[in-house]
Amino acid sequence: MGGALAAGASSGSAASPANDLRILNFALKLEELEAGFYAAAIDRGALRGEVREFAEVVVVHEREHVALLRKVLGAKAAARPTMRFGVAVTNPKKFVAAATALEDAVVAAYNGQAANVSPAVLAAAARIVSVEARHAAWIRAIAGKLPAVDPTDPILSAKQVEAAVNKLGFLR
Amino acid sequence: MSDTDLTLEQLDRDGALREAIAKLDEAQATRADLLRRATVGSAAFVAALALPASSRAAPSGRDRDILNYALTLEYLQSAFYTETDLQGALRGKARRASTVLGAVERAHVKALRKVLGSAAVAKPTFNFKGVTEQQTPFLRTAVAFEDLAVAAYKGQAGRIQAKPLLVAAVSIHSVEARHAAWMRYLFGITPAAEAFDEPLSRPEVEAIVAKTRFIAARTQTSRKGRRPRLTG
Repeated sequence: MGGALAAGASSGSAASPANDLRILNFALKLEELEAGFYAAAIDRGALRGEVREFAEVVVVHEREHVALLRKVLGAKAAARPTMRFGVAVTNPKKFVAAATALEDAVVAAYNGQAANVSPAVLAAAARIVSVEARHAAWIRAIAGKLPAVDPTDPILSAKQVEAAVNKLGFLR
Repeated sequence: MSDTDLTLEQLDRDGALREAIAKLDEAQATRADLLRRATVGSAAFVAALALPASSRAAPSGRDRDILNYALTLEYLQSAFYTETDLQGALRGKARRASTVLGAVERAHVKALRKVLGSAAVAKPTFNFKGVTEQQTPFLRTAVAFEDLAVAAYKGQAGRIQAKPLLVAAVSIHSVEARHAAWMRYLFGITPAAEAFDEPLSRPEVEAIVAKTRFIAARTQTSRKGRRPRLTG
């Protein structure tokens, strides 16, 4: 954790237009993944009750995040990744576990880049990250788990986030 | 003992966090898991906020102001949950939430006081006008406090000058958002109402806090070494 903090704060990744671009496209990929995941889960029709309501509300948020990032990036926006979600969109229990892991990873991703971006990007990211944190707490509450225990959220490097996301196996 | 090895025990002197964690029967994680997570989270926080004294530059004037502003909001929240716990009027999930949040907000207070040292503002006296004594007013107030804290931290993100402080602040900011969602869920309203959360400026936040009239009196800036009256 100390290493990640040091890397985030002082690895020479000072804010620059090139860094902003790279980080915004990283965020876009994560938001596409979230939007695609929730849309697929709703589409498959296996979710019920609170979990379904969660997916229906959250997918709208993630699509708006994607739209904002695409607008900011313009022609520099990366193509939508290829995704496959497997049983995580057909088995409600697996859906809840994957949604929790995904939302946590996205919160840690935004937090991990806060010190590396320009003020304008930081302001936009700050408006998004707390909504992702709300999603993470909400899905835990639905699952009967404690929504927040730690005094702080982890700060993960892009590499650590990639590793967490790759564990889900959604990106092809 | 170096600041960077600070453990949960040191952040949680009154044991409330450990006690709360011990009661987490609804959580799937084991107690050991949660203790480890809390320790790691706290250690990262303190590493970011309170670098070892030898290598730590005192926060700049502007950063100090922002940290003291954050400290005042954390005093407000920690006092609110601590008083609620002492009143003992809550039941079930709300009670458990109040206990956990009290411990977390006290950890925030403690860490902010540590980095501010003698420049830390003293804890004001609060009068919560009975909202800590009943479940529904408690939850309504908790939702308002947590949503306010999210907007307040967000409003300062672009103003913090020292990067370690920015990193610490963003990692508290998202925790406050988790709290806001939790309290909204318990209150029965949607935990995430909008796709984007908007910031509030310091004057906007202070006007809202002033309207509650929960701050009964402000004491003078604490002298070096002076401790707040309550752990909250």
